[in-house]
Amino acid sequence: MAILPLPMEPTETLTETTLVSDRSRRFGDLRGVQWRIDLGILPSSPSSSIDDLRRVTADARRRYATLRKQLLVDPHLPKDGSSFPDLVMDNPLSQNPDSMWGRFFKNAELERMVDQDLTRLYPEHGSYFQTSGCQGMLRRILLLWCLRHPEYGYRQGMHELLAPLLYVLHIDVERLSEVRKTYEDHFTDKFDGFSFHENDLTYKFDFKKFSESMEHGNGSGKGSANASNLTEVDPKIQTIVLLSDAYGAEGELGVVLSEKFMEHDVYCMFDALMNGSGGAVAMAEFFSPSPFSSSHSGFPPVIEASAALYHLLSSVDSSLHSHLVELGVEPQYFALRWLRVLFGREFSLEDLLIIWDEIFACGNCKLNKLVENDFDASSGVLDSSRGAFISAFAVSMILYLRSSLLATENATSCLQRLLNFPDDVKLEKLIRKAKSLQALAVDANNSNPLLTQAGMFERSKSTVVRGHSLSLDSTSPRTPLTSVPDSYWEEKWRVLHKEEERKQDASEKQAPSNRKGWSEKVKLRLSRTESDPSPSSVDKRKKDPKLSVRRSLLEDLARQLGPDEDTENIVVDKHIDEKDQGVENGQDFIDENFACTSEQIGLSGNTGSEENSSIFSDPPSPINGVDNHGNESGRSSVASNSSLDENDGGANTADICGDNPEGSPRPVSDSPDDVSLQSGQNEETAAEKSMVGLKERKLISSKFQWFWKFGRVAGEGLSEKGQATDANKGCSGGIDHDNITGTSTANGGIIISSESSKVETVDQNVMVTLRNLGQSMIENIQVIESVFQQDRAQAGSSKNILVGKGQVTALAALKELRKISNLLSEM
Amino acid sequence: MVLVLALGDLHIPHRAPDLPAKFKSMLVAGKIQHIICTGNLCIKEVHDYLKTLCPDLHITRGEYDEETRYPETKTLTIGQFKLGICHGHQVIPWGDLDSLAMLQRQLDVDILVTGHTHQFTAYKHEAGVVINPGSATGAYSSITYDVNPSFVLMDIDGLRVVVYVYELIEGEVKVDKIDFKKTTAAADSTH
Repeated sequence: MAILPLPMEPTETLTETTLVSDRSRRFGDLRGVQWRIDLGILPSSPSSSIDDLRRVTADARRRYATLRKQLLVDPHLPKDGSSFPDLVMDNPLSQNPDSMWGRFFKNAELERMVDQDLTRLYPEHGSYFQTSGCQGMLRRILLLWCLRHPEYGYRQGMHELLAPLLYVLHIDVERLSEVRKTYEDHFTDKFDGFSFHENDLTYKFDFKKFSESMEHGNGSGKGSANASNLTEVDPKIQTIVLLSDAYGAEGELGVVLSEKFMEHDVYCMFDALMNGSGGAVAMAEFFSPSPFSSSHSGFPPVIEASAALYHLLSSVDSSLHSHLVELGVEPQYFALRWLRVLFGREFSLEDLLIIWDEIFACGNCKLNKLVENDFDASSGVLDSSRGAFISAFAVSMILYLRSSLLATENATSCLQRLLNFPDDVKLEKLIRKAKSLQALAVDANNSNPLLTQAGMFERSKSTVVRGHSLSLDSTSPRTPLTSVPDSYWEEKWRVLHKEEERKQDASEKQAPSNRKGWSEKVKLRLSRTESDPSPSSVDKRKKDPKLSVRRSLLEDLARQLGPDEDTENIVVDKHIDEKDQGVENGQDFIDENFACTSEQIGLSGNTGSEENSSIFSDPPSPINGVDNHGNESGRSSVASNSSLDENDGGANTADICGDNPEGSPRPVSDSPDDVSLQSGQNEETAAEKSMVGLKERKLISSKFQWFWKFGRVAGEGLSEKGQATDANKGCSGGIDHDNITGTSTANGGIIISSESSKVETVDQNVMVTLRNLGQSMIENIQVIESVFQQDRAQAGSSKNILVGKGQVTALAALKELRKISNLLSEM
Repeated sequence: MVLVLALGDLHIPHRAPDLPAKFKSMLVAGKIQHIICTGNLCIKEVHDYLKTLCPDLHITRGEYDEETRYPETKTLTIGQFKLGICHGHQVIPWGDLDSLAMLQRQLDVDILVTGHTHQFTAYKHEAGVVINPGSATGAYSSITYDVNPSFVLMDIDGLRVVVYVYELIEGEVKVDKIDFKKTTAAADSTH
């Protein structure tokens, strides 16, 4: 009646960094049993005896056997066991889906799908997985599970979840046979030779008597483990023996490590894994396309889980997170595979078993009781410590690839790296890292990531942009970042530039000064970007970056409208000031700091002439529209995006200028391209507007930008000057497209013509952008006005750069701007 | 579980325009593995239609078939059973069991499928089974006008064949089932 001492209790004192295998768990070396306990099939309380385990096992197996009988359909047997089947319904060609044959065909279809996947399962371990016995078992299990859960059906990946479960049971059975060999005697049937105590129903081994009769010991196997008494044997071996004793509780059906009932056990494990055993992480949810019942976001659980992953990543390593977001790498692109097969595809089978040890060791009870029925308390599919570990592990995998991910600049190579996880990874490190992140993950999972996703993405993106832009940029532009092929933009650039040249030519009379001013301006800009601003200007600059931006915008606009004395004066003034290096007013900064937008706005502040004003009224809108559109369509790199941001048009250009001088012309060209595009679009949409004006503007801006670009690229004024002259030559009076195409400048009229056709083909919804433009213009105007007022107040001070005339023209330009914005808002 | 469809004597377009709609709705591609046709389709379009139901199609020549290159008789093996096909106008008296049994012995098959009489019959005798699927369209025959559309579906499963007979009687599809078991391969072949 000796009751065997139970195997040692699982130690609860674990440090965070120990792996599961380090802990002395109850069935440490019997993964199959351990996993069954973790998954909730077998009782997990430390006090449950072997018998309890056996009983539970037996019950589970019985359930499976009945299930099998129910679901495996033999169509020849009449339905409901009646001997007079209704043949009209039950014939093979019956369309009736309820008929035996209908079900048979459905099952056959399902089986075919399952088979497709199974044949490709673990080919590298084909010696086990590709054997027909194993395949048959897997097929049946999957088929039965899918029939039992028709709402999920069969999805690819389920077989990969199932295979390791079968594998661990297989390993256990092998271990058992090893032990059998070495400890043969313990496994012999002794039930006949002993008398039993009444109470000793379950244990047929009467070990005291056993030891007496077996004094000579086993003779086999382990030298020191030559124990004749089972109690003297290593407790682990004891366990194995008891678990596999055919005469223990429930007899053969209760043999926990049994080869015969492997299918039953694996089915139970698979079922528990998929259902989550009442916990939070139910793998089946990852396969369902419909939103989790209790989730508040309308997304499928796997999307939610991927978002939770990113959420955790953002709290752990925000720069990597923002980098990934910036590249447009959505979490579910790689997380889908990771989550659905619990990292089965990323690691080898042995490694995977270790990882799954860890995963299953975490409890699966829902941590977040649904307190409120609102956003925050959505219990996601990862809402348990197991789920937290899963997401923490995924994040640690991402972090492992950190350096290579940060190095890539395009989404596909990022995904490639994430999806081809390196083989030579130190698993312990990953697991330790995951454990350390686990606590964080619990919080991350609790807050519903997806509902804030949009905002988060916006925020993160804007953060990114902000990070790239200079400190001048105070409001965050919300420009998504996408990359645009170089050639397209360069073309646009050139076309725009052509047009700008033409514009330039129109003001031929002021050509020399204009040119000079232009080139000077470019040079100015260049020097500005490359040199530090003078202290006083720095202060001012810092104070009123926006003001300066807007001021230059205005000037650009004025310039575009038509070359004007005053405009020239402004330019000249600026130039002079630049020479003086006494630039303190923000305007210089404006000039320097702006690339495209400044050009667009034009130098001329004079809008007195009707013609000018009419042109004036048109250009800004497309430009701004361009800006807006640029913002919304999110072109090219960060710099360009910031430049295109119409909220902070000036700031953006400031960024560009102030930003790396070597910054690719491409960003700059983007804006003119945008401008041209937008103009083109405007042409399409705002037919009532003077399209010509639009085109003009586009041309001008492109020209300017081209200038700017060349100025930058060339590095100094020389080339600029050359370009300026070219541009000026290129601009021959007329302001229409044909003229532009006619003119063949250094940049080639071909591009222009192609551009024009391209422009026409572009169609967008600029209306909204235009409206926004109008509003921003109003803001700009206000800013500029205030600046002017400031200047006026400082009349006579050295800080006053603008001569009186310039001021007047600027004011006039402001008024025009206002008109334009009104028009726009009416649109 | 091999499903074999046996039909024949459609006589499209001469004597009937098409299969009955109820039959057509039942004949869905994908369920049937083989089709055995006794003959008298008569035109290529019918042949193509049958091909869409199942690519494995076996036809023998009936006297009205416009395709002249169908064979007179054909044999094939499905599972444990040997099947033989013949239109039946060659065997006189038409529809006579003993004469058909002679043909069966000649072809050395377990299941002989013939037509021409436009009447469904299924005989079992010691050597095997003789099945006549009738006319699938209900076309009149040389003998009688009173013809119900019918065809046969055989479910061959190991050593057992279940014959489902589908007849269109007064607009309703009636199904009947007949079970045949092959005794042993050896026993059969010696007969």
